[in-house]
Amino acid sequence: MPARNHKQWMAAPNLKDGEWIDSRVYTDQAIFDEELEKIFKNAWIPVCHESELPKAYDFRTTSIANEPVIVCRGPDNEVRAFLNVCPHRGMLIERRPSGSFYEGQPSGNPKRMTCMFHAWQFDMKGNCVYISREKEGYQDRLPKESVGLRRLRCEVKFGGFVWVNLNDNPVDLEEWAGKPFECLRKTLDAEPMEVFHYHKAIVNTNYKLWHDTNCEFYHDFMHYHNRVTGFNDAYFARKNEAFEHGHIVVGTFEVNYDQYEGFESRAGLSFPHLPPNQWYMIDLFPGMNFNLRGSALRCDVVTPLGPDKVMIEFRGLGLKRDTPEERQTRINHHNSIWGPFGRNLHEDLIGVQGQGTTMRPGSESRRVLHGRQENQTIHDENGMRHYYAEWGKWMNRLPSNPEAPFTQVAVAAE
Amino acid sequence: MDTQVEISAPTMGGGLDPSISRDVADAVRDTIYRATILLDSQEWNNWLELCDESFSYDIKSWSPEINYDMTYLHASRKDMEALIRLLPKHNTDHSPLTRHTSVYTVDVGDNGETASAVSGFIVFQHLLDGTNSHIDSGESRLFLVGKYLDTFKIVDGRAMFTSRIARLENRRLDKGSHWPI
Repeated sequence: MPARNHKQWMAAPNLKDGEWIDSRVYTDQAIFDEELEKIFKNAWIPVCHESELPKAYDFRTTSIANEPVIVCRGPDNEVRAFLNVCPHRGMLIERRPSGSFYEGQPSGNPKRMTCMFHAWQFDMKGNCVYISREKEGYQDRLPKESVGLRRLRCEVKFGGFVWVNLNDNPVDLEEWAGKPFECLRKTLDAEPMEVFHYHKAIVNTNYKLWHDTNCEFYHDFMHYHNRVTGFNDAYFARKNEAFEHGHIVVGTFEVNYDQYEGFESRAGLSFPHLPPNQWYMIDLFPGMNFNLRGSALRCDVVTPLGPDKVMIEFRGLGLKRDTPEERQTRINHHNSIWGPFGRNLHEDLIGVQGQGTTMRPGSESRRVLHGRQENQTIHDENGMRHYYAEWGKWMNRLPSNPEAPFTQVAVAAE
Repeated sequence: MDTQVEISAPTMGGGLDPSISRDVADAVRDTIYRATILLDSQEWNNWLELCDESFSYDIKSWSPEINYDMTYLHASRKDMEALIRLLPKHNTDHSPLTRHTSVYTVDVGDNGETASAVSGFIVFQHLLDGTNSHIDSGESRLFLVGKYLDTFKIVDGRAMFTSRIARLENRRLDKGSHWPI
């Protein structure tokens, strides 16, 4: 077909409902704001890994849907999460990305979370334990027992990740993600893991475009590494399996790493209970990814910053018991592909930023095609179709026409 | 562990003739600055010519988020040769990088056959691709800040890199890069 005029360009593609979406889901500020309220404030987010706060009184800070969050480990070894907000005048209680409350702070005592502003102090369970000049100022009108922190639902699960949900009554975490994790549960829970890599990227694109890229493998044509190490019959037979709540799992096969010059087999450092050189991928709605390439686990978490801006945090994990030599090898395996100077991640980020350039607030709406049907194997786009069916339910919007209410029939599951 | 680089007391070759120490230090500075120019002009193989067969290359950064000294890239000379050979096979951001390097310290080994140096560097990215080349091309952005921790072998009066650690201060690396820093 020759190049199209505007009318032809704007026409619905000759595909079934659900096999394409309208780009306004990536560009509209109102839709973005609604996503934070309807989705991110109700979804389980793996904000960090337990190895990032190994000792009592260690903490990590993060944010979900514009709300600052602090995660800390108590003297009882329990990991808990709270809004990182002082109930007095809304000051951010802890400003550092990580650290320990074991030592005192300039405004407060050891073993306390202290708001530096007016020295209110909280214990590791979020109880307010000290208000400076409490009686003088509040008499008996506002006892410290009534001004505890806002606690958040928090669980350590699926390989030691710390999951937080802003909703007090969310779907149970096991019910939320247990089934997609089944393929790796034995592996991830076999023994303690440890984070060895962290970096972040802020890119000008919609968070869903990043997750889409993690959900579809058709883009392996962009990666020379993946073409030479993977394109074989076993690769093309990998299944793209959909799970409830919008999650997908891409099944495994044996990767031939030594087909890429300078790379080596990863068989010697396979994660527990896995055959050598396997490659599993778990994509969780609305934007988390767990990617296990034999010897190293990668985890991506998106923090949407705007319709055309997202922060992606990248973590790499190995086994806590690694010898220094084993750890260094895992790090090399991880970062040679997925590090900021690795072969694939740079290409992936260029790809989604290019999409972000053509789809930004004010851009003409476009039809984005998710219509490849290959018996739900690796280059089938059923993962994205499944995702947007779930998105439509949460948002009550039709992905192909986001101004219309969602209808299940229109984007029927595979 | 933090991002501080340990600087030892000045050593200019111990019992070496001071003029030899000065010559070695000059050779080290010359090699570092030549490397900067060759990397800027993407003459990767000419840059490798400044590196000994035993050369190792690392990009590292301390993460206060996870309290871990991270290695973003680790490679031998042979690994770097393969990496460079395969660059044309990979999609990449085409925006050139230029490095502003300042050699802070040079320490010459007692025998005058080895040396180490600490340099500060800033890498600017001169946008060609950017996010939208129509808008962004021509803009220069700060890309990386860090220190080079280099070691050398002195061969026929010439300083050859035996190792380079590019230790980064920034950990928000956005699209990253395929190129040696």
